[in-house]
Amino acid sequence: MNAVVAWTRRFTLWQGILLAILALGLWATVTRFAGGLGAATHLSDAFPWGLWIGFDVLVGVGLAAGAFVVAATVHVFRIERYESIARPAVLTAFLGYLLVIVALMFDLGRPYRIWHPLVMWNPHSVMFEVAWCVTLYTAVLALEFSPLLFERFGWKVPLAAIRRVYVPLVIVGVLLSTLHQSSLGTLYVIVPGKLHGLWYSPLLPIFFFISAVAAGLAMTIFESFMSWRAFGRRLEGDVLRGLARIIVVMLGVYLAWRVEDLVGRGALGLAFQLTPESVMFWGEMVLGVLVPMVLFAIRRVRRSDQGLFFAAILTILGFIVNRLNVSITGMTASSGVSYVPSWMEFAVTLMIVGLGFVLFRMAVQYLPVFPAGEPAGESKRGRSAPHPAADAAFHPTLGRGVLVALWVLLAVGAVGVGYGTYHANGSAAAAATAAAAAPAIAPAVAHELRLPAPYTFPTAVESPGPVTFDHETHAAVGDPGEPACAPCHQGLFRLGAPGVPVAGELTYERIHEGDLCASCHDGEHAFAIADDCGNCHRM
Amino acid sequence: MKPAILTDLTLCIGCEACVWACKEVNGLPREGGAAQLSATTWTAVEHRGEVNVRRQCMHCLDPACASVCPVAAIHQTPEGPVVYDESRCMGCRYCMIGCPFGVPKYEWDSPLPRVQKCQMCFQQRIKEGRQPACTEACPTGATIFGDRDALLAEAHRRIAAEPDRYVDHVYGESEAGGTSVLYLSAVPFAELGFAGAVSTDPYPRLTWDVLSKLPNVVSIGGLLLFGIWWLARRRETLAQLRNGEITLAEAVKRMPPLIGDAASPPHSPDPSVDLEGGLKGGEGRPHPGGADADLTEGPRSES
Repeated sequence: MNAVVAWTRRFTLWQGILLAILALGLWATVTRFAGGLGAATHLSDAFPWGLWIGFDVLVGVGLAAGAFVVAATVHVFRIERYESIARPAVLTAFLGYLLVIVALMFDLGRPYRIWHPLVMWNPHSVMFEVAWCVTLYTAVLALEFSPLLFERFGWKVPLAAIRRVYVPLVIVGVLLSTLHQSSLGTLYVIVPGKLHGLWYSPLLPIFFFISAVAAGLAMTIFESFMSWRAFGRRLEGDVLRGLARIIVVMLGVYLAWRVEDLVGRGALGLAFQLTPESVMFWGEMVLGVLVPMVLFAIRRVRRSDQGLFFAAILTILGFIVNRLNVSITGMTASSGVSYVPSWMEFAVTLMIVGLGFVLFRMAVQYLPVFPAGEPAGESKRGRSAPHPAADAAFHPTLGRGVLVALWVLLAVGAVGVGYGTYHANGSAAAAATAAAAAPAIAPAVAHELRLPAPYTFPTAVESPGPVTFDHETHAAVGDPGEPACAPCHQGLFRLGAPGVPVAGELTYERIHEGDLCASCHDGEHAFAIADDCGNCHRM
Repeated sequence: MKPAILTDLTLCIGCEACVWACKEVNGLPREGGAAQLSATTWTAVEHRGEVNVRRQCMHCLDPACASVCPVAAIHQTPEGPVVYDESRCMGCRYCMIGCPFGVPKYEWDSPLPRVQKCQMCFQQRIKEGRQPACTEACPTGATIFGDRDALLAEAHRRIAAEPDRYVDHVYGESEAGGTSVLYLSAVPFAELGFAGAVSTDPYPRLTWDVLSKLPNVVSIGGLLLFGIWWLARRRETLAQLRNGEITLAEAVKRMPPLIGDAASPPHSPDPSVDLEGGLKGGEGRPHPGGADADLTEGPRSES
């Protein structure tokens, strides 16, 4: 009974949070589409890509990578014991890609043209390739996902049809995924001068690919546990342990290759200077790569549910930090500004993530995603129609130790980010001061400017006579000895072409009444205009 | 002729005639100011002490912005100037990320925003054989329009004639693989806020090096995956056949080339003998992988 009460309370709490997120997200949505990106985000000309690209797109696509790895394992390598997680992985990926497209609709300046890359080609553009791959792969995922619907509604003919083409479909999906998971890294290969040396590498596509495989599998472990806690669906620890072993290999290769790359490019030294970048770099590499790799490699950790879950969380966090480092931390120094997302950017991101959780939950509830609760190790094929109450063995929540460790980790991360932001502001300000303090460089060169010929003003009808302006007699304005053009031509007598004033600016009023000529000819700096028409007009 | 612009910073008096001429020709609002590039200021004059620096799009010979644009909204005309077709642009802003000079700007406060940058007056003037508004407006000849080769020669002539007056570098001659906008200065360019760490190789080459490999990845990867699948399935079928789970006929139907060959080898009239031989590798392991099996052992060639 207590358990039921607790369940209800937890559910309503989450509902409340979701509703709050939804309200804020909708407000942000209206603001963004009514007022443009500037009204809703802290993006600027100096920092054109922010949280929506860094998290919603780069992280969203990466965390969905579990699907193609598991699909290849089951259907191409034919290791069938992984079949039980193939469906949740495909579901995650399908929802993930749909949500990435939703996020893009927010980030694109003109979202209604999202289809343009499909018809207006530029094969030299990495983004073009990503657009095509993501589109095609989303279609592949829809087909890979479709058997769940067909089974649910008992449509035998399309089910048989899709099974017949399933292997080629999976192979196409693996190829498309390989292309665009790596190409998200290639996006940044063209900014060697902008991306910090700890992250810029010609090997970015390879790093993006490997880390996405590791994080995608960690995500599969994570969501298995979440579903298990929410619905009591039993998932074979055996299968998850297998995934953990793949993750160890992936993280190991990733770690070694990145260190080798840093050494090879002579950028490792950057990691040992105390900068916001190096703090974030160590956080990413140690807490997000090294620690989970070691944890996953320890047999006892792999055999414990909490251990698996904790290490998977670390892998995912490390992956998220990496993508944010590439897209935000690493791009900050060269931009000259310090970008912190606006609350509306966070609200939209949370809304999209929340939407993902809700859709996933609904799919698990209504579609044959997870095999019904069964003891581990048996084949799950052909099963559908889940029974939420089948597995009554509700496991306790996370061990207290794990929770404490999680919070410590998050706190460390927050401090690191805070320090990074503070430091970024500090160093930007310092750079600005240095620039301002730098002595104005006097070009010790003799100007050989020829003064323009005298200029005769257009004559109005009532004019007592034409006025001719002589540059020779006016060139001493400003510093003595140097012809100074700017005091008059910058702001006052603006030129549209040599000798041609900007149209409409030379009016009788502006010349005679304290604006143009009269700004100097006021009786104080030079003779006043009203003194004698003959001073200027040739009568 | 390759249209180009040479700006001699030692001659610039900072009058901003170029800025206002640009705004007039392109119909840009005057409120945007003249001090820095923005969506409404396509050329700007920075007053840095006694040096005035005119900024504008560099019109790279091999432009990064055009190479990254997924819809070819920013593209290079055959004549050279890099222009923008707003009807194609979906607003991904990759051009702003990709440009090594930070030139393209965005209409952040518009619900239907555009990318904005100098287009060298291509539509209004260059196509008609006229020079851009900015160079025409310059009262001192600090910024002039002409053929790139001729302007480069002129720039080097000026440096050679007065080596004390100029730093010995024509900015834009090799930056980013060469640009159509060239600068001369008395002060080192790095001190004037010019992008310093600009590669002398064209930027698009960096990503093309990766992109051009993708067809190979697809074809080799596809073959590899198909091969792995074929081997795995062959092994599976043979194991099932050996365990008596399926008949030979079913096995042949499932994998015609494989079992067909194995079933009628020239040297052995009895198919089962050859099958035994072919199964040695998989003996005792009808199903690939135990609890701790590694993925890598899944596909295995048996010859």
